[in-house]
Amino acid sequence: MGDKADVWQGTLALMVLKTLDSMGAQHGYGIARRIEQISGDLLSVNYGTLYPALLKLEQEGYIESEWGVSENNRKAKFYRLTRAGRKQLARETRDWEQTQQILAKFLSPREQES
Amino acid sequence: MRRMRGWLLRLGGMFRKERREAELSAELESHLQMHVEENVRAGMTPEAARRDALMKLGGIEQAKEEYREQRGLPWLETMMQDLRYGTRMLRKNLGFTIVAALTLALGIGANTAIFSLVDGILLRPLPFANPKDLVSVTGTYPKGAFEAMREQMQSLDVAGYVEGYEFNLTGRGEPVRLSGTLVSAEFFLVLGARPELGRPFYPGDDKAGQDSYVILSHALWQQRFSGDASIVGRAIELEGVSRQVLGVMPAEFHFPSPKTQVWIPLHNDPRDTIAYWAGDFMPIIGRLRPGATIERARAEIRLFQKRVFALFPWTMPASWNADVSVVELRSGMVADVRARLFLLLGAVSLILLIACVNVANLALSRAATREKEIAVRSAMGADRRRVMRQLLTESVLLALIGGTLGVLLAMEGLHLLKAALPADTPRLADAHIDWRVLAFTGGLAVLTGILFGLAPAIHSSRTAVAGALKSAGRGAAATVSHRLRSGLAIAEVALAVLLVVAAGLLVRSFWALSHVDPGFRTSQILTARITPNQAYCNDAARCVSFYRELVSRMKAVPGVTSAAVVNTLPLGGRVAKRALDVENLFVSPGETPPLFWMDTVTPEYFTVMNIPVVAGRGFTSADATGGSPMVVITTSTARRFWQGRNAIGSHIRLSSDKEWREVVGVVPDVRAYDLQKSIPEWMNGTVYLPYSANATLENGRVPSDMTIVIQASLDEAQVRDQLQRTVAGLNPEVPTGEVKPMSAVVSESVSTPASTTFLFVAFALLALVLGIVGIYGVLAYLVATRTREIGIRLALGALPRDVLWLVLKEGARFSLIGIVLGLAAAVAVTRLLASELYGVSPADPVTFSAAAAVMAVVSMLACYIPTRRAMRVDPMVALRYE
Repeated sequence: MGDKADVWQGTLALMVLKTLDSMGAQHGYGIARRIEQISGDLLSVNYGTLYPALLKLEQEGYIESEWGVSENNRKAKFYRLTRAGRKQLARETRDWEQTQQILAKFLSPREQES
Repeated sequence: MRRMRGWLLRLGGMFRKERREAELSAELESHLQMHVEENVRAGMTPEAARRDALMKLGGIEQAKEEYREQRGLPWLETMMQDLRYGTRMLRKNLGFTIVAALTLALGIGANTAIFSLVDGILLRPLPFANPKDLVSVTGTYPKGAFEAMREQMQSLDVAGYVEGYEFNLTGRGEPVRLSGTLVSAEFFLVLGARPELGRPFYPGDDKAGQDSYVILSHALWQQRFSGDASIVGRAIELEGVSRQVLGVMPAEFHFPSPKTQVWIPLHNDPRDTIAYWAGDFMPIIGRLRPGATIERARAEIRLFQKRVFALFPWTMPASWNADVSVVELRSGMVADVRARLFLLLGAVSLILLIACVNVANLALSRAATREKEIAVRSAMGADRRRVMRQLLTESVLLALIGGTLGVLLAMEGLHLLKAALPADTPRLADAHIDWRVLAFTGGLAVLTGILFGLAPAIHSSRTAVAGALKSAGRGAAATVSHRLRSGLAIAEVALAVLLVVAAGLLVRSFWALSHVDPGFRTSQILTARITPNQAYCNDAARCVSFYRELVSRMKAVPGVTSAAVVNTLPLGGRVAKRALDVENLFVSPGETPPLFWMDTVTPEYFTVMNIPVVAGRGFTSADATGGSPMVVITTSTARRFWQGRNAIGSHIRLSSDKEWREVVGVVPDVRAYDLQKSIPEWMNGTVYLPYSANATLENGRVPSDMTIVIQASLDEAQVRDQLQRTVAGLNPEVPTGEVKPMSAVVSESVSTPASTTFLFVAFALLALVLGIVGIYGVLAYLVATRTREIGIRLALGALPRDVLWLVLKEGARFSLIGIVLGLAAAVAVTRLLASELYGVSPADPVTFSAAAAVMAVVSMLACYIPTRRAMRVDPMVALRYE
């Protein structure tokens, strides 16, 4: 666990929203695994960061939760995107891309020379 | 919007906790199980799978804690939790709570009481309309100059007033002497104060001939006119003059002072040159006109001051009002009391500081026993900030309890304070405990809580988890704690020493003051003011014979040894000054002759007051009735104008008289003005004249407000009774006022230093008590933590004497350091007291040594119980301890 980066707060919310968008309803364990897989096991998600983040999104109305049964017949709480959540995802994705572009311009070698 | 919704849900998250907790546990558990199952599927043994999952996911309890923080409103929730927990802890340690809360209550209570004074007197706006536009002109001006100012000032509406006038109210039962203030017609308009009944004075009401008006104070209206509203418009008899009552001022109107019972218009008469240009020099108040600034008013008044000289019918000295300015009325009113109030505020802040140190010390010793508890809480996932916050919440809670008790104390204390302070303190009636004061106390309590809670909180939260859990918490941390505690005890001793020194200086000063020989007899003398109307005394001979008859009738009363009248009773607060020509003293033209205090007395005055005649002779009854005019002077006057040559036989003349008076005797000076000095620098000397028709005041009249002094072996009530009957028998219109023994006159003259001294002594005692508790606390803790060591020492053959020394050494160490620091601080600080001191230097070595000695004795007393406990340690019990 030591050499893996912990997910930082702001981006975790975006990752959770994207995960739920692409996978549909999912439980906490599933979300965590999915994020770790997509990152190529570069990121590690633990309880302490994941569940408060889920709760915050739920409080803000971007996701909703419901108890259900997992694929292995285990009782689990499933999270699902709401309409507001979808909008928020689009907004945050846009913001993130913008930020990324700006940063990319700053960091490109050509920019530094001119 | 989203944010809002989040907040609301979080607020809701604080409720129905059990279900939410259960859900969270279930969710985390299912997460863990899924992880374990997957690990097993990947080929791990069940044990390895579980261990891996747990490690990867981090501590479940920490995760829950973070989740909870997101769920509710952590700060609110934590606070509630801390409060609940704090209340429980305070209730569990009832002894600590009571001592600490009482300590704080004393500190906060004293501060609240003094602050309510400061607030009422210095801070609160004056109770008038638009008080910030009210100003006062720093100089004083005669009527003529005032009327010119009233006409010329563009930026200000001005009003003048003279306090200290007296009027006999007659024709309504027993005659009574009233205190009055003469005011210009704009007085009430400028202040923006409306009468509760009737009308104020309007411009023009102060012109001679159209000024037979009066406005009553609420108190007088209630007492003398039983609150009868129909009095407005009717006439009352004041000093034999009929005046129409225009209005009654409301109860809370006290300007210029609560003493004023009637407001009477100034009598502006330009034809009366002396009264108009040389009569009363009045203080001037003003109200800035719309758009005007205080700076403009200042510039304008300086210009006016340059031009006003030309208006006077004679040459005024160039230095007169040279530094005139315009200041805010409020600051002008209370300039005299400000310094004293700040001294008191300084003293009570020291007490609060001591109280804080004390409670910090108590809290620290408790913190030591709580180290284990705190370590457990850290291990359970509370971070350092969280622990500190918990401890601070407890402190603030404690401070609020102390604060509440303190307010109760302050309510009582304020009554005492108001009674202890001189009654003429301006705006004293304005001081009360209201929301402003309560806000101050609340803020003070929270601040206090943080102040005394901080050191223990920082200290405790630093406690090493592992170390504290292993040992019983008496490791290295105890040493640090002890150093901190000693530091606090030293600070406490130092602060107490500082207050004791200040109180000691004031006590010595007051002692010196009350042992001043005033130069006259103070025991077995009853004094009373006997005051016929001015009109009655316009016939000087009638007035003189009235007093002469009064004195002779009183002397005939069995039990009365002797009696006399005097116009200005020493220390009675009144003086009469008079310009005199002294034989062979050259006064250059244009300069005014020297001013003297002039006492006019009946012949027995020197005998009654026991003032010895040191050269020549006193007065005889023949001197008053006729014969050549004469005068008795004081030794300082003789020294000043005759430089040791024999003054007897020389001559002095009232500067308006033609006839010279022969100096027939010399008497010692008495403390006439105040007890501190026999005569102020600005006065040249004192002369005594026999009371007769030609012993006139500056206004050309014979004094008509004499004080009778009666030496009698009867008790006070009997003399008073006899006197009232005699006066009424002579003239039923003459009031008998201010009947009191001479000793009361003397003690009233020092009421201000008396109150300051009293308050400082009270504060110093408070500081000492708190100091004892503080030292006791530190030593008791020391003995408790070293019981085992003491036991070992005793077991190895140490004598109780050695143990005694062990504890005493510690106590002596910090009390000595504290005393030295306190004395050093006192050297630096007591200079602030200099203006309050008489006959003792601010660095008085006797006081400093005494304060050090008192503190040393008190410290040793505080050591007594802990030391005795240490000496009684039973080695066997001590070794089994822990």
